[in-house]
Amino acid sequence: MDRPYNDAELMAVLLSREVRDGEISACGTLSMLPAAGLLLAQATHAPDAELIILGSPFVPFATSRQFHYLAQRGDLGLFFVSGVQIDRRGNYNLHLLGRDPDRPDQRFPGGYGGGMIYYAARRTVIFRTEHTPRSLVERVDFISAAGQTPPAVLRYGGPTGVVTPMASLRFDAGAGLLRLASVHAPHTVADVVRSTGFDLGDVSGVGPTPPPSAEELGVLRGEVCARMIESGTYPDWARANLGAGRAA
Amino acid sequence: MGIPYLPVLGLAGTDLLRRREDMKLLPDPFHPERQTVVVQALRPDVALFHGLRADRAGNVCFGYESDNTILAEASRTVLVTVEEVVDALAPEERAAALPGILVTAVAQARYGAHPAGAPGAYPQDGEHLTRYAQAARSDETFAAYLRETVFDLPDHAAYVARFVPEGWGQRGQLRLQAAGD
Repeated sequence: MDRPYNDAELMAVLLSREVRDGEISACGTLSMLPAAGLLLAQATHAPDAELIILGSPFVPFATSRQFHYLAQRGDLGLFFVSGVQIDRRGNYNLHLLGRDPDRPDQRFPGGYGGGMIYYAARRTVIFRTEHTPRSLVERVDFISAAGQTPPAVLRYGGPTGVVTPMASLRFDAGAGLLRLASVHAPHTVADVVRSTGFDLGDVSGVGPTPPPSAEELGVLRGEVCARMIESGTYPDWARANLGAGRAA
Repeated sequence: MGIPYLPVLGLAGTDLLRRREDMKLLPDPFHPERQTVVVQALRPDVALFHGLRADRAGNVCFGYESDNTILAEASRTVLVTVEEVVDALAPEERAAALPGILVTAVAQARYGAHPAGAPGAYPQDGEHLTRYAQAARSDETFAAYLRETVFDLPDHAAYVARFVPEGWGQRGQLRLQAAGD
């Protein structure tokens, strides 16, 4: 691939652009890409963003109860989450794969926190490192977080978009559907349509994603990578992925 | 805790709610036009967890604010292991301790949290946890892991001798009182 950045750097940059200054933005444990994205945002356009990176030193709390109630009262501006499957209606699945939930083919970390935060955080951006028909599906095997809201239920926020190594999708709240927003070079709209397990609808007019800028990449590989290593926030991942093979 | 149920914002429309008997979407008693998820409270017969230090009255200090407090408040019987039992906790430890009135029994078990960590004493043992995760991939390998680390050992001291790395946590913040202090 003839790009001056790798997929991890691309996704970290795209996730960082979702962060708004002055808000509280968070990601769960074992979420390296948003951890890097959050730190990048704070080092660039969002110096007053409050960051919560669960499972790292960037956690202001001693207990998960405290994080739970921060979310419940609607104070989370943005939450980054991943799902093993994501569907057209903005549902995601972090629970199990298989037709029969009593005898799943595979189990995943589970659904409580995500299913709660999907309602409570003002925006949720889903990241997925695999963009294939098995990860972006027509209907998830198990809804652990619901894109649709039953009538008369209070909801502060919900699905915002999905970022993969191929494309960015946006949730159209009016239609209740994910739509293709932009495609990351060198991939084409046709590549994305072929790699997506659901109908993306009208994709005419979908353009390329603005690629990571030299400034974004520079800060990511320099300051952010160093901060991850120093603070013990996925240091091995940072060394292997940020500026990998390019650092002098 | 020990409450009948708790309301939660969220979870509506999920398969979790569809499959769990202990979670329901019901009219909000204070806003009847609104529906809210309520979850039935757990009322465990027994809670087991590990703390840093306990005094002879059963007050338990974790070294940090711990969600184990909620677990103790919800459970009928509360059994706690600690790194050390002391005559009296330091005043600042006592101020943030799990009150002994909620605790049924305390036992000293040095390295009782291993392979997990005990904040203030030692970190988690990543190498052992990787082994645990690999063993947990199948019932057979997990049964073998349990035989080796639990069932075939006479006591906790044998586990520590065999599985806790020499001097584990000693270079960390562990400041346990010398025996007899």
